Amino acid sequence: MNGYAGKILRIDLTDRKISTIDTKDYEQWVGGHGMGSAIFWDLVKDKTIKGFDPRNIITIMTSPLSGTLAPGASGRTEVQGIGIQSYPIGWFTRSNFGGRFSAMLKYAGWDGIVIEGKADKPVWVDIRNEDVKIKDARPLWGLDTWKTQEDIWREVSGRGFGGWVELDSERRTTQRPAVLTIGPAGENLSVTACLIHDAGNSAGQGGFGGIWGSKNLKAISVIGTGSIQIANPKGLMEARLWAQKKYSTDLNNPDASWVARFGRRRPQNLFWDKQEKARLNSCIGCHIGCKERSDTGYGNESTCHETFFYAGYDKAKHGGKQTSAAYIATDLLQKYGINAYEASRGLTYIRALERMGLLGRGKKIECDLDFRKLGETEFADQFLKMIAYRRGIGDDFAEGFFRAAKRWGRLEEDLKAGILYYSYWGLPEHSYDPRAEVEWGYGSILGDRDINEHDFNFLFWWPSGAIWAGKTPQPPAEQAVKIIAEKLMPYENDPLMLDFSTDNIYSEHMAKLVGWHRHYTRFWKESVLYCDNRWPEFINSRVPGYRGITGEGEPKFLNAVTGKMLTFLDGMEMGRKIWNLDNAIWILQGRHRNMVHFSDYIYNVPYKGTGNFAMYYLPGREKGKWDYIRVDGRHLDRAKFEEFKTRFYDLEGWDSRSGWPKRGTLESLGLKSVADELEKNKKLGA
Amino acid sequence: MGKLRDPPHELALRILGEVIFEDRLVGFSLHERTGPNPVTMYSFEEVVSLLNDPHPRLDFSELETWIREIMGDEELAEQIADSIRKGKSDQNISLRIKKLMEERLDQCKRSI
Repeated sequence: MNGYAGKILRIDLTDRKISTIDTKDYEQWVGGHGMGSAIFWDLVKDKTIKGFDPRNIITIMTSPLSGTLAPGASGRTEVQGIGIQSYPIGWFTRSNFGGRFSAMLKYAGWDGIVIEGKADKPVWVDIRNEDVKIKDARPLWGLDTWKTQEDIWREVSGRGFGGWVELDSERRTTQRPAVLTIGPAGENLSVTACLIHDAGNSAGQGGFGGIWGSKNLKAISVIGTGSIQIANPKGLMEARLWAQKKYSTDLNNPDASWVARFGRRRPQNLFWDKQEKARLNSCIGCHIGCKERSDTGYGNESTCHETFFYAGYDKAKHGGKQTSAAYIATDLLQKYGINAYEASRGLTYIRALERMGLLGRGKKIECDLDFRKLGETEFADQFLKMIAYRRGIGDDFAEGFFRAAKRWGRLEEDLKAGILYYSYWGLPEHSYDPRAEVEWGYGSILGDRDINEHDFNFLFWWPSGAIWAGKTPQPPAEQAVKIIAEKLMPYENDPLMLDFSTDNIYSEHMAKLVGWHRHYTRFWKESVLYCDNRWPEFINSRVPGYRGITGEGEPKFLNAVTGKMLTFLDGMEMGRKIWNLDNAIWILQGRHRNMVHFSDYIYNVPYKGTGNFAMYYLPGREKGKWDYIRVDGRHLDRAKFEEFKTRFYDLEGWDSRSGWPKRGTLESLGLKSVADELEKNKKLGA
Repeated sequence: MGKLRDPPHELALRILGEVIFEDRLVGFSLHERTGPNPVTMYSFEEVVSLLNDPHPRLDFSELETWIREIMGDEELAEQIADSIRKGKSDQNISLRIKKLMEERLDQCKRSI
């Protein structure tokens, strides 16, 4: 099996039983999410169980590309199971993290891990090639995620870091084991709890840290000395060199207007002021390096929103200048294992309540936090400790701030007013607000979580940045849309899919965009595990005609590794199949189209409030002409969104009255048994 | 854009304080991946912080009114209005206002 280790590790924590699943049994799903959903479907008979139920299984899956030279694909790991974060139902959900865990798992001989049951006391799993042991984690329980990893590294290596680790008489390595662990937030069953790997890689959404905590599972460590069989090693190397030559930045001649995702120019996605002395850090096998390690030791490997979490408060406290407080606050998120979006949106929310005179010492919502210290390290530590250890009002925070608002009797009022930025499924909003960039919001509410897939956001970022700086955005909207539309197979060459004008956002064209996005990501990014930071790439200004690598690149690397002859379109169809399977699980959990709606403020409050300033531009048509148009002053129309849902369900081949897939649709995808199960439960679309 | 006169003690105190919920300002900090993050500001210093962001977005006219009516700083509000008139782009206006507000913040801190 080219690209595969050949077996999946199955761990029953209740009976402390180790067994294997033959990867071949699930090879049709290719890897990652597809395999995870299929395994979940088969092993969890009652889909209505809650996330903390010991019968809930957690899958941790790699892809054929994990641990290979495939660029921007080698280091991702997909995590799935019934989550605890979303509301009103903890949906079957997913999260994903980078680093080197997936590669190390493959090198140890495993394509994935399935965790089931619940240990009677804290345990960790020690994987050394094919040798798997469930060990006592009581000495690790209570430690933060970094200390836990250090202790495990030390135990596995036997004598500290950097020396040889002898796995048996013939196999040894200088590598450290890759450890995935929970911190105190997970141990204390917080819905905000993450899984953390190395310094700053986290599976943040879904509350998987809390689920591990409920299973008494502290960590999984893996170290391996094997390799991965590649169908066409020369082809893989040539593909990588082709991608580098054609799509990557020319470091000797970087053009200031150079734009791309796959081969973009550094710097990385760090939203605090950069540290003076830092070097690049990347996930294994990546061609870019979007993380850093600094000489201060602060903020190592963190990227994206966790670096935003405290930077503004730090600056506000210190005269507009960044201090170490921002970096340390981020490190605390990682060490306690807390979801950055929950912490960030939650802090904004409780600050508002504090300013309203509702929260604080002696106030209606009793809270010990001293907001005069907001921006200092001390405040961040106190706030995050309250969540991680459920101290005082932190017991409410640990349930996520949506549920906290409910406990305080403020949920409806604060959602209506838009003070609580939780627009879908009780989850914190990402910032790509459903009122502006609709494909993000629609994808999230039609799915299970904040999609966190940035595939079309460049269409906001480029023009919005350029216009703000007084420049003309390039390429022009009509050209950009044409290039992208060519790549949106099987809906190719319909530019109206990218028309974000208010007249078009409820149309069948937009339904096609949302469907395309769900199908593309379900397969190419969540199953083959191409990284969201680099894929897809529609536009690349280095290439004549601006056409990016997407469409050609994705199957090229996969086929070189597996020897299969999958086309891009085959992958899109696989994505549709996986999306249908996931929907079947949600339906068995209780989903109906009547539940699929945003929080009230999305329909009532114009995005950006009353501020009269230009901020958010996207391509759209005005009087029949394409341009980058403003989309930031609008709210969604409730009735029209319902019409959109009907169009979307029709397009997917689902029953538009219920939102449930029809037998014909499922059978055409090879999902007859899924249709049978839905029918048995009286939940098959008519 | 002229140099700002030293603020009276009372004004400096107000500028270094916080406002109530109803008097807040809302702006955005834009980043390519994390998107346009809403930033709720309850103090002059928080506005300066946002303006130190690489991509701040806020309503300049609303800010001018806020400085005039909530902070009570007529002189600064006038200079902000002047910056809005003369700025060649939103980025340029942001930078001009940032400079002004940083100067005012320094003055206030020195006077307290």
